[in-house]
Amino acid sequence: MFELASSSIGGQALFVLPFGDIVAYFSPFTAALFLFALIFTLVCIYSRPEKSMDIVFGTDALYAKEVTGKDLHFRRFMAIACGIATMGAVTSGDVFNFTLFVSMVGVCIIGITASVKNSQVQNTAFNYGIVAMLATIPLFGAAAITLAATGTLSIWELSAMAPAMPWIARALILVGVMGEGMAPFYVAKAELTRAPGAPYVLMIHVSSLLMFLRVVEIILTV
Amino acid sequence: MSDIDNLIALYSVIVIALAAIALISFIAVPIGYEDTQIYPKNINTSSSLNPYDRGGEPFGTTEVMAQYPQNSPNLGSVTAYLTPLSALMAVSNLYLGTTIVSHPGGIIDEILYNTRGMDTIVETSILFTAFAIASFLYRREEEK
Amino acid sequence: MMDEYAIGLIVAFVAIVITFVAAFREKNDIHRLIIADLGEVSALAVIALIATDLAEALIIPGLVVGISELLALSEIYLVREHLNRPVQQPFRIEVLDTAPTIIAVILVGYGIVLSGFTGGAVAGTGMIFYLMGKKQTERFALVETVSGYAWALWIVAFFIFMVVPEYWFFAVMLAGGAILAKVTAKMSLIGTMRGEKDV
Repeated sequence: MFELASSSIGGQALFVLPFGDIVAYFSPFTAALFLFALIFTLVCIYSRPEKSMDIVFGTDALYAKEVTGKDLHFRRFMAIACGIATMGAVTSGDVFNFTLFVSMVGVCIIGITASVKNSQVQNTAFNYGIVAMLATIPLFGAAAITLAATGTLSIWELSAMAPAMPWIARALILVGVMGEGMAPFYVAKAELTRAPGAPYVLMIHVSSLLMFLRVVEIILTV
Repeated sequence: MSDIDNLIALYSVIVIALAAIALISFIAVPIGYEDTQIYPKNINTSSSLNPYDRGGEPFGTTEVMAQYPQNSPNLGSVTAYLTPLSALMAVSNLYLGTTIVSHPGGIIDEILYNTRGMDTIVETSILFTAFAIASFLYRREEEK
Repeated sequence: MMDEYAIGLIVAFVAIVITFVAAFREKNDIHRLIIADLGEVSALAVIALIATDLAEALIIPGLVVGISELLALSEIYLVREHLNRPVQQPFRIEVLDTAPTIIAVILVGYGIVLSGFTGGAVAGTGMIFYLMGKKQTERFALVETVSGYAWALWIVAFFIFMVVPEYWFFAVMLAGGAILAKVTAKMSLIGTMRGEKDV
């Protein structure tokens, strides 16, 4: 077994999964986040989507907006991909790898809403997509500054020499996750979730919530 | 703030503010460059592989400063390996160097595919996802 | 005194500020898309400032993320604006109608010699050249399947590196070949996606 710079990050490490230089880890905190993402992904795989009802104004008529056929398959695929990306992001033990997983969550969120034919939702998906693209600049910038200033990207090494990460890198990574996860921009989230198809659309909320919990942990430990 | 068309402007303002603060802090207290980097780059102008040379003997031992060398017992093997054709071009002429490999290191980049292979997995998954989105939308428009 | 890294970082951050000011002022959606793509370059500059072999390896993921997001977003833009048919006559250059197939063959052959990622790009250019010239109604499903299997093979190579490192040479060959096939297939698919009506 190889030696890690510190024995624990945010509680005792339960399980360590080495992929060469990238060492993913499960501490009680990340394991809890991982389980949550796993359960929600399973819900997306096995549950049928909701049928949102619209009332025609002034009458008794109702019509259901169903998600069917290829659209259903596509959105389920995107939601599962989003779940897997979230699982990767919460357990990754490397700053750059984490930023890549976060960008993947961003692409998947665009994908979940991209197939909706409502023009308002499409407009929001486009605007959100541009913010997600812009957000990769602070994300990769933060990882690069961390590497240049400390000589390592591994969260294990960084937490052993804490506080090592320059504060500006922490701020940049937080802003980057804000862009990908849409947290303070309530308007985009409200518009995106206007799309029908509940478990898939709710994956957007779950993934951004988990990303935020994880990025706070990273900022506090390194 | 409640208009979706202002979303990009809103995000831009946040980043501009942060980048401006960062600029001021860089001028006041420059971020020092750590000298002990992993995978350091050496420029050896007498090598025929010049810009891409990462040292090492094919099928021999190669010094690579990885983060966790214990995780990759055969570290450096991929970097040092050249295909017979590339090796021939490398020894025959000093100036064919840049055309030989066209990848840093050997046939594939060791950092990208071996030690930090997870990065490349995620990267290609992103491309795959984006391609799925684009082709799904494209096909759907075609069918109409 | 400031070292080179600090100066470079300041320059890169000035570029980032300029990018975001542009994104703040621009109201046209297609220009915003282009600005966002240009902005990625400043992020790559910050990565390149590290100036180690690792930085070289980090640039490729950064670049690919930008390209793939651009790919998805431009398709969404086309759907939103209902631009699903080419507005003008599809792009025609006379040399493409008369050029011999041999050029495409040379490009593909050179790409296979180069192998790996770059080789895939060169071979893909050759494929695009051939397909554009010959107006082939090629079998897209086949090309897509090849691309998918190549991707899976490359993942297998990654696990060989991780689980049984002593077979690294086999993994190198597998990954090199798979990446070549994957990049070639992807490039020829993307390159012809906006082509004829019956593609």
